[in-house]
Amino acid sequence: MAKAHKITGVEPQHSYCANARIILPQKVEEVYMWETFIRNPARREELHNMRIAIKRLRYTMELFGVVYKPKKRFTECLAVLVDLQEILGDVHDSDVVLDVLTDYAYRCGDGAARDALAPGVATLIARTRETRKADYETFLEKWEHLSAKGFKQKLLAIFAA
Amino acid sequence: MAKVWEIKSSATGKKLETCARQIIATRFREMMSYKEGARDGTDIECVHDMRVASRRLRAAMDNFMDCFPKKPFKKRYKHVKAITRTMGCVRDLDVLIAHFQKELSTLSEAEQGDIQGLIEHLRQKRDEARKPMLALFAELEACDFEEKFLTFFEGL
Repeated sequence: MAKAHKITGVEPQHSYCANARIILPQKVEEVYMWETFIRNPARREELHNMRIAIKRLRYTMELFGVVYKPKKRFTECLAVLVDLQEILGDVHDSDVVLDVLTDYAYRCGDGAARDALAPGVATLIARTRETRKADYETFLEKWEHLSAKGFKQKLLAIFAA
Repeated sequence: MAKVWEIKSSATGKKLETCARQIIATRFREMMSYKEGARDGTDIECVHDMRVASRRLRAAMDNFMDCFPKKPFKKRYKHVKAITRTMGCVRDLDVLIAHFQKELSTLSEAEQGDIQGLIEHLRQKRDEARKPMLALFAELEACDFEEKFLTFFEGL
């Protein structure tokens, strides 16, 4: 998992409000640095890193929510991020489940058994691959839709207001 | 999942440093409120809640680190990171066990046997993963981590 980026330009003696405008845009950039990779479903590490970056942005937005009034647009954006984080979470969960099933099959099997997976394991591997594929496609569709609507610019405009 | 604790007054006009102290102390108390439940281990949600609270605390610490002297801040940050890590190992296994248990009912009887074996294997791993978590709790208690943490962030 990628480390959180060091936040720069923070002014401890300035107001909470002024610092929100310094910190939040940096958290947005941390999310978007992973965008180049997400159109490849095999880039599981980068998809996971984007999820973590979204989570960090979400928690930071929750901290600074008090700064932004009226709250409606801010809250709507927060809900979008929570949704993206959850879908990417589902993709990651499938990746972990697939790792566990594969690892378990190989630990238990010997020789010929490795070529013929235990039926229960084989069923779940096939099912999890399908679920992962569907979740990834849902995520990408939502992401492209948000990009077309200028979601990043909208976020930055709200934070700067 | 438990509801996130509200921060009493992070008035927007206040200095960041003042708010940062209050936010970090609140998030820390929130995280520690789940410790006994996590130690007990009966309700798997306590581990989850403590882990999520530790992530929220870290998000606040990441954002506000420039408000505090570097060396003592880093020392406390490392401890919080260790809490997230050990809780994560237990939580990941809880999630997997719950996932495969849910899948059981969708499988044929023959297939269920394969997955029962896997669940048992994961349960053993979970018991192992709890040991470092419990050892960390004991270590933090032995060095008065909780009191020192709050004194540092609230007491200056």
